[in-house]
Amino acid sequence: MNIRAYKPLIPMIAVYGVLITIALTVDGMWQPVAYFMFYIALGQAFNIFLGLTGYVDFGYVAFMGLGAYGMGLAIKNFGHLGLIALPIGIFLAVIMSMLLSLAVGAVALRLRGAYFAIATIGVNEGFRYLVEGVRLWGGTEGMILSGFMRKTYGREMTNFFSTFLSDVLVILIAFSAAVVTIAILNKKMGYALLALREDEDAAKVMGINVTKYKIMAFITSAGFAGLIGATAWTLKLTYIFPEDVFNISYTVEAIVIVMLGGAGTLLGPMFGGLIYGIMKYYLSVIFPGIQLLILAPILIAIVVVFPEGLIGYIRKKARDTRLSEYLR
Amino acid sequence: MRGKWNLLIVGLFVLSLLVTGCAQQEQKPEATPTPEKKAPEEKPEKKVETMYFGAPISLTGKYSKEGQMSLWGMQVAAKWINDVYGGLKVGDKVYKVEIKYYDDQSNKEVVQSMIERLAVQDGVKFILAPYSSGLTLAAAPIAEKYGVLMNSHGGASDYIFEQGYYYVVQTLSPASKYQTGFLDMIKKVDPNAKRVAMIYKDTEFSRAVFNAAREYAEANGFEVVFDKTYPKDVQDLSPILNELKAANPDIIIGGGHFADGQLLTQQLAELKINVKAISILVAPALPKYYDALGTKAEGICAPAQWEVGVTYGPEAAKKLGMDYFGPTQDEFLVLFKEISGSDEKPSYHAAEGAAAVLSYAYAIEKAQSLDPEKVREAMNDIEFMTLYGVWKIDPETGKQIGHEMVIIQWQGGTKKIIWPEAAANADPYYPIPTWEEKDQGKLAKH
Repeated sequence: MNIRAYKPLIPMIAVYGVLITIALTVDGMWQPVAYFMFYIALGQAFNIFLGLTGYVDFGYVAFMGLGAYGMGLAIKNFGHLGLIALPIGIFLAVIMSMLLSLAVGAVALRLRGAYFAIATIGVNEGFRYLVEGVRLWGGTEGMILSGFMRKTYGREMTNFFSTFLSDVLVILIAFSAAVVTIAILNKKMGYALLALREDEDAAKVMGINVTKYKIMAFITSAGFAGLIGATAWTLKLTYIFPEDVFNISYTVEAIVIVMLGGAGTLLGPMFGGLIYGIMKYYLSVIFPGIQLLILAPILIAIVVVFPEGLIGYIRKKARDTRLSEYLR
Repeated sequence: MRGKWNLLIVGLFVLSLLVTGCAQQEQKPEATPTPEKKAPEEKPEKKVETMYFGAPISLTGKYSKEGQMSLWGMQVAAKWINDVYGGLKVGDKVYKVEIKYYDDQSNKEVVQSMIERLAVQDGVKFILAPYSSGLTLAAAPIAEKYGVLMNSHGGASDYIFEQGYYYVVQTLSPASKYQTGFLDMIKKVDPNAKRVAMIYKDTEFSRAVFNAAREYAEANGFEVVFDKTYPKDVQDLSPILNELKAANPDIIIGGGHFADGQLLTQQLAELKINVKAISILVAPALPKYYDALGTKAEGICAPAQWEVGVTYGPEAAKKLGMDYFGPTQDEFLVLFKEISGSDEKPSYHAAEGAAAVLSYAYAIEKAQSLDPEKVREAMNDIEFMTLYGVWKIDPETGKQIGHEMVIIQWQGGTKKIIWPEAAANADPYYPIPTWEEKDQGKLAKH
């Protein structure tokens, strides 16, 4: 293993360190930091697919929703076994979202560009209607787990899940997604994806099995989405409504975060998520009600000035300097 | 090519943000007028301090309309407490009330950080819960962690109060009571009308309403002869309505939201399904319902949490032997106009928000303490009336049990309140005219 290739994780660890320190030492900052981390995790997970392949998946939130249901089902059915329900939930979340992504990917990833985007919107909406229409997993009434969890695990423990454990897990997920990203970038798969992102036909001619690599990236990304749904939603909020967990706005936010930071970079989603989260949070604190009017021009400005994202821009500027080793 | 895609996507996103933002702006040029504080007449022996009630408000996102209304309602109540009532007297101190609010963007992730911010950084002890049941549930664990009280003014679902959150109390009527008042009324007006048909939208909220209505109907000697849901984006109800017609009901209860409620009425008329009374969720309570349907809307009823024109007031309270607290309806309307800066009439969301603030104020004075635990305890024993109606909670769960839904009925082109009797300003028109009679211009007017 080439240790030097993992150098870009150093600035990431530094940023995480600062965030966690703030969260633990400043009163009332734990939830806001958890909120930023949710966006970072979302960006980091989505980047594995969007960033590396250049395909836009508008149905991404479906994997998060499915992950949320995986955890919900585990708590409901295995809650009586005690805490073991949580690892089961994590496992279910990953398996369910990966299976769906395999099914979707096998079909939709043969489409390109706008056709792929449209097909994936259909998956998300279709899945929501399936859950609601056949009254799967509670149908429109969803799953309300608070009371059950409080009875099974006790009040203190459930609050610990909601207000601490779930947040820690989201941080771990974000970090693991980053490690996976850099591992992919350093492997043959990374080069194959890079090639297909730039020119899919050329890559094909070169003998790269493009569909295989696309599906691999898709499944990995979906698995992380499932994990985020399981922890940041089910475990933290203790309820699941289909309307909430299949809400397309999360997909759009994920796209914006990845674009802001720089698609296909390692550090991009972290900075994108951080900037997006911080702006959304503080603007709504300082200018409640009109924050979107301020947020929108800022986002436009960033995208116009840095078309390759913040990290993409900095990398370009720092090319051939020692700094470039730490940027990816 | 990819760059263009990216730009397009981000552009679209930004555009959607702008659109929501602008929609917001339109309604609220002076969205957040901090009400000018006229210093209450200083009584030299009492120290005046400011107490904050915290509120995550949905000023943007899907609940923005409701959120803005409830915020205005809260600000009206705070202004009344400060300027008219003279502040809250606790011990030898007088407290002015101010609403500290942030925009939660109707978003479950944001709500949690907002609650923490209010509880920790702002030191707020009394929180007005976010709008909607989901957001209230998302906020509950954080509120409990910091031991702050949370008063729900927009979370109607019963299940919030079945999860064992002692510090969450409710001001509005729970979903389970939405259609029960109508059944009570029918029982009183026509004990022979027994056959009930239920036709409602497949959403979490409507299901909660009609599950409870079914139980209540059966317990009260009604016979539920028809019980079906329709999907969210329904375009045509005639297949189910034909089935409903065959069940030959005396009364119909149903609905879900605006569009489907209007469609339901329209198609009941087309299929000439005549019954003695109809109560539909949400749609008939909005003025545009009558605009769209004209005389077809005559006689149709709807449950509402509150309505301008209810006769709750000091006299009604006296009759029931309880205190009246807060502005009268007339005072409320004047203050509301002043604070909102618009001619818009307050919706029930505003009254709910105001009632939640008033209930905190009333309970704090009763408890003579600012300790959330003591206030929560005091809430167990209080029963009083505001312009919004009676406020009394179930001590164990915090669920609202005093407040009653009002029933409105379209009579001769105006919305009349016909139930409960304490709030009514007209008698029920029963049975309603048939569709054929309505076509000929007959109104449901006495």
